[in-house]
Amino acid sequence: MDFVTWALSPWGENILIRISWDLFWASLVGGILFLVAHGGYMLFSPHHKRESGEVDRMEKERAGLPARIERHSFMARVFHWVMAVAMLALVFTAFLPVVGVKFAWVYWHWMAGILLTGSIIFHVIHATFFMDFWSIWLGPRDIPEAKAEIMRDFGVEIGGPKPGKYPLGNRLYHFAVLVAGVGAIASGLLMMSRVRTPIFERNPYLMGDAAYGLTYVIHGLTGVGFVGLIIAHIYFALRPEKFWITKSMIFGTISKREYLEHHDPDRWVATK
Amino acid sequence: MPAAIRDVMPAFELFQPTSVADTLGLLERHGADAWVMGGGLDTFDWLKDRLRKPKVVVDLSAVAELRGIKDAGGGIEIGAMTTLTEVATNALVKERFGLLAEATGLVASPQIRNQGTMGGNVAQDARCWYYRAGWPCYRAGGNICYADTPTAVNREHAIFDADRCVAVNPSDTAPALIALDAQMVVRRGASELVVPAQDFFVGPGVDITRLTLLRPGDLLTAVRIPGTWAGKQFYFEKVRDRQVWDFALVNVASAINASGNAISEARLVVNGVSARPYRLEAVEAFVRGKARDEQTAEQAGALAVRGALPLRHNAYKVPLMKALVKRAIRGAGAWTS
Amino acid sequence: MADYKLIGKNYVTPDLVAKVTGKARYAEDYRAEGMLFVKLLLSPRPHARVTRIDASAALSMPGVHAILTADDMPAPPPPPAPPPAPAPAAPRPQGEAGAPGAAAGAAAPAAAAAAAAPAAAQPPAPPRPRVPAEVALTKEPVYEGEPILAVAADSEDIAAAAIERIVVEYEPLPFVIDPLDSLRPGGPDGRLEGNVFVGANVETLKWTAADIARIEAGTFPADAAASETLVFGDVEKGFAEADLVIERDHYQQTTSHQPLESRTAMAYWQNGKCYLHGSTQSVARTVAAAAGWIGIKPEELVLISEYTGGGFGSKIPGAQSMAIPALLSRKLNGRPVMMRISREEETYIGRTRPGYQGWLKMGFKKDGRLTAIDMFIVEAAGPYRRQGDHATSANNTSLMYQVPNMRFRGVSVATNTPPGTSQRAPGGLQASVMVEPMVDEAARKLGLDRIAIRKINSPEGQAQFGLAPVNAPPGRPRNKVTSCFVKECLDKGAELFNWAERSKRSGQRRGNKVTGVAVATGSYTAGSIGVDGLSVLKPDGKLYIHQGIGNLGTHSVIDTARVIAEQVDMPWEKCVVVWGNTGNHVAWSSVQAGSQTTYAHSRANYAAGQALKRNLQELAALELGGAPDDYDVGGERVFRRGNPGRAIPFAKAAELAIKRGGKFDGHEVPKELNGMTKASAAALAGLGLMGVARDNLPRDGSTYSFQAAFIEVEVDVETGVYRIVDYLAVVDVGTVMHPNSLGGQIHGGGIQGFGHVRSQNLVYDRHYGAGLSNRMYNNKPPTLLDVPVEQPMRWAAVELPDPTNPIGAKGIGEPAIGAGGGALICALADAVGDGILRRTPVHPEQILMSLAAGKPAYETLTAFI
Repeated sequence: MDFVTWALSPWGENILIRISWDLFWASLVGGILFLVAHGGYMLFSPHHKRESGEVDRMEKERAGLPARIERHSFMARVFHWVMAVAMLALVFTAFLPVVGVKFAWVYWHWMAGILLTGSIIFHVIHATFFMDFWSIWLGPRDIPEAKAEIMRDFGVEIGGPKPGKYPLGNRLYHFAVLVAGVGAIASGLLMMSRVRTPIFERNPYLMGDAAYGLTYVIHGLTGVGFVGLIIAHIYFALRPEKFWITKSMIFGTISKREYLEHHDPDRWVATK
Repeated sequence: MPAAIRDVMPAFELFQPTSVADTLGLLERHGADAWVMGGGLDTFDWLKDRLRKPKVVVDLSAVAELRGIKDAGGGIEIGAMTTLTEVATNALVKERFGLLAEATGLVASPQIRNQGTMGGNVAQDARCWYYRAGWPCYRAGGNICYADTPTAVNREHAIFDADRCVAVNPSDTAPALIALDAQMVVRRGASELVVPAQDFFVGPGVDITRLTLLRPGDLLTAVRIPGTWAGKQFYFEKVRDRQVWDFALVNVASAINASGNAISEARLVVNGVSARPYRLEAVEAFVRGKARDEQTAEQAGALAVRGALPLRHNAYKVPLMKALVKRAIRGAGAWTS
Repeated sequence: MADYKLIGKNYVTPDLVAKVTGKARYAEDYRAEGMLFVKLLLSPRPHARVTRIDASAALSMPGVHAILTADDMPAPPPPPAPPPAPAPAAPRPQGEAGAPGAAAGAAAPAAAAAAAAPAAAQPPAPPRPRVPAEVALTKEPVYEGEPILAVAADSEDIAAAAIERIVVEYEPLPFVIDPLDSLRPGGPDGRLEGNVFVGANVETLKWTAADIARIEAGTFPADAAASETLVFGDVEKGFAEADLVIERDHYQQTTSHQPLESRTAMAYWQNGKCYLHGSTQSVARTVAAAAGWIGIKPEELVLISEYTGGGFGSKIPGAQSMAIPALLSRKLNGRPVMMRISREEETYIGRTRPGYQGWLKMGFKKDGRLTAIDMFIVEAAGPYRRQGDHATSANNTSLMYQVPNMRFRGVSVATNTPPGTSQRAPGGLQASVMVEPMVDEAARKLGLDRIAIRKINSPEGQAQFGLAPVNAPPGRPRNKVTSCFVKECLDKGAELFNWAERSKRSGQRRGNKVTGVAVATGSYTAGSIGVDGLSVLKPDGKLYIHQGIGNLGTHSVIDTARVIAEQVDMPWEKCVVVWGNTGNHVAWSSVQAGSQTTYAHSRANYAAGQALKRNLQELAALELGGAPDDYDVGGERVFRRGNPGRAIPFAKAAELAIKRGGKFDGHEVPKELNGMTKASAAALAGLGLMGVARDNLPRDGSTYSFQAAFIEVEVDVETGVYRIVDYLAVVDVGTVMHPNSLGGQIHGGGIQGFGHVRSQNLVYDRHYGAGLSNRMYNNKPPTLLDVPVEQPMRWAAVELPDPTNPIGAKGIGEPAIGAGGGALICALADAVGDGILRRTPVHPEQILMSLAAGKPAYETLTAFI
């Protein structure tokens, strides 16, 4: 399997062209294998849920909490779904031709890319000024939580650390998407210099062969990365034990009990 | 980095089957390693420049069933290996589809028409000189179009439907065949596809590395022209730098069914302006029912070039195409200012 | 005119059947036992330094025998010395830097010498870097496609595969495609030593930001700095006197020569001699050049080139690349090595005609008389040396238009494009294409007939011409021609073409077609002097004529042999022309360039024929008594005048000559013969009665031929497409030696001129400095179907002999091209209007877009697009 494709430039130099599409298949197969492995494990493994007694106790302690607690504001949900649509459009327009479904994809691809970029700019501003900016980030204080999660997955009964607003898995995923997204968008914007759009003056010689090669490879890597990430995302969103999160991304709120069961009310203080 | 060299044909295994069945067998056996050769005019350029290095070349010149022009119920069927000279001079073609005879007679040079084939002329690859130089452009699987840069020399390139790649389809017969509602007969393994000529060609948006839907292993066996347009009014014109041995800068083919002075049905196709022969369906619809006069011709020309996006050196294709479409509506023999 | 038996008659040349039946053997057709094949590794970069070559993987391949690199090449010969005196009038016979007024003949050596160094008169400057000579393989490629190394292998297939395994690393260097880019402040230099060729040197010249701003606005900066200036009279005064002044920007493209046969060569060594089968225009004159490239003495080389598929100036003494198989063969102990040059390689190494970016201003009196011409030309010289086409254009213009005041300014810019060299009428073609349309414009503005305006300005008799460096000492005589009958050409053509009636069709429109009718003139050098003729009458009764002339397709190698036969009244069937193989002992000849052969060798062979006749007369006097002058020759005998019975048949005379030896059978030859002729005569001595001589005939002036061309075109104004409807050429070539071959040259030249105006082009991508039109289908030389079909092209000759040639003949190869090209562009302007077509080739879009815009609607000055 080749990882990247090379070509001979007009000056006889080896230049990077893009990643090998083998990597797409690797990501696709990897994502599906993970899904099968994880699903199987969850079905047959001894992994433990927290005891319900703890939550019952907390529910009594915090009787003043409203019955429904807003987890995702309307704007946040709009952003999420716009981004999701853009992302799916990007992945499908990128990879359907690779798997043999031929259509004029470039226009839709860069349009979706612009939509994605716009939605992310909105998200950055929104998250910075109107949301708890740090709640999604990872830090050293997540280590005990991570440890506990891993122990539970291996069947060890363990209480203790709970996440604030976003579970650790959520935050890890956000971080991965952030890295891949920044790579994909930055490289994608540079690549638009080689496509005719009304947005930029076309100049295929904006950068040298090597820089373009790297740009295409980064775009390819992040693109196939998204294939795996999206598979994982959809999988978890549909898993029964996570479905309350999915619903909250649709309707905005979670129940009081879900709030207390999955979150540390001291790390994420419900306002209403 | 290793050096490149051109103009030396590498060795390959040569097969000269005598039947379509044997040909398909060979193509199946050798898969993507096989290269199908008609008259060799496009093939040998690629092979000599070492830009295509097939292990196996399947030369169709001995497949008798791929040659010849048959009467087919008011229409005709032309074997893919029929030479362009045969098509251009065939009495049946001239009588029914003078458009095709004329277009074919203007291909390249007499020598090339003697060797080149019907199938080869429609299935030939792009002639963009960046692509043909072996540069790693989109069409060659790379990530750039060298012909669409601020310094590129692109007077022969596309003004319509460019999608990253700005190469054009160089065929003279393709627009004529589309105008005649021809169908391409393609053998793909055990199945036979009969594809309207228009759908036989693909643009770079859909497939940036190919001009037609032919995939490795496919065999174009014949071109069928239905009787629909037999004996109707035709017009073909090709504009080029030299009077011979030159690809079209722009060419135009039209077929018009007129009742009295009114156009009841028309087909208009232009080539040399995009990667697919460019059928002007909007113009066809516009002229339907109109009088065949200077005003209609003028308006058709203007409508035809709507949406054209020229490059640095090919803005002339817009007025040129406009003029050719105008003349295609006017028809042969008609000249006005 | 003399009553000739052979001269002026059509006949079948002895090479013709082989050519048309494919039996003729060109360099590529030779095979030898154990022959290996060569392929070249070409530079992918337009300018670079080779930093590393790793050929180990290639050399370890089975079937690979040797590799040749720049390190294996002999040191280049010193810069070409002036040709042996008296100098032939060839413009740049070996492709070296041409002199302005390159056609300056031997009669004006002072002028030629002064003109050869146009910068000499400028204030003394510090020593300037000289340009390294071009060698067949290089470590500093200066154009894309320049050969870096060669591999010899059992087959081309193996050699090519080997090249694909060789790793070459390059350090990129700045490069220039469009000359005007190099003249920008801070613009790239095409050579490390500088960007502008001046004489044999290279200097740095940059224009001002204001000049460049004008270029960007689409105008040529006519007051920018020039690196060479030549003048005649006072151009300012001339324009002050003018009633009409016209000035125009102008572009002409670079074209590659594209002879049908590429510069293939095969070589082997035997008994210390190198046998080289090459493709060359000249034979005798290729030996020293090729020996120099191989690094051996001329006498160590045997050159075989019986047939050459054209050269158009690109193979005057063969090609540097011929050294490659010779040197590889030597490395392999003499094993034969064949190097076939592909069309793509030919496009790279096969030479080019330099393109022009320039400006022309002309002043006229009301009666059409020219008062002044001011010409500024930037030539795209390629990477190796000054071409001088631009200065030759000025020189030619000063001849064709007898203007009292003229100035030429020029810059010869180093470009990283295939090397330039003479291409059929270098500078002459461009002069006609540039000047003729402006003369027509003046005629239209002044209400004059276009033939009349030409006749009032055209040369006649021993017309003078030429320009001189600005500070040249006064009193220096101008150059002059030996004969000139261009006015007669115009008159004869006007009659044959029915100009009075035809010119009324100018601009007539029928539907979308507009007719253009035009006339144009052209001229070029047409003869040199001082070469040798060699013939032997053998006891078999046949006359062997040993010609050192190359068989480049013009027939001059055979046609001029007939001059000897004519002198001694030898039936042509009894003549054997020996040519194309220096092993067969040939005479020293002129180069087959500058259209000089017909003139030079009709003189030399006249001298040799006279020597042969004299030997026969003297022999007869000795054998039969009386004085030599009592004898004459005829009917294959030498006989006593008034007593024809007293005679010696030629076969018998040959035997008697051998018996007598000395000067009769070639054991004694004239001292002034060239060394090559002497060696050939020595080898042939004792085989028969020899006639050998050097051309010592007098000449005062330079020999030029002239042409007037008449044309009708039809322009489709809706598409810009045009076709030539009718063409007539009338030439002044002195006495016609062979009508069929003359017609071939006239039409061949005319068609090549059409190609220059219509389609032929060399296109470069300037980002990569790479050639895009490396195949004939995209560099588009003219074809036989691009000429009038319904009315075949016609020609005529005025047949007025040149007084300095004993039979009156002059050359034609080059004079034939300019008028053809000039006539076509004039006719197009006649159809579509003046000042619109300032760029060649004239593509349909130039006409289409410009007609719509009413002015040039294309990039007028951009080069290589």
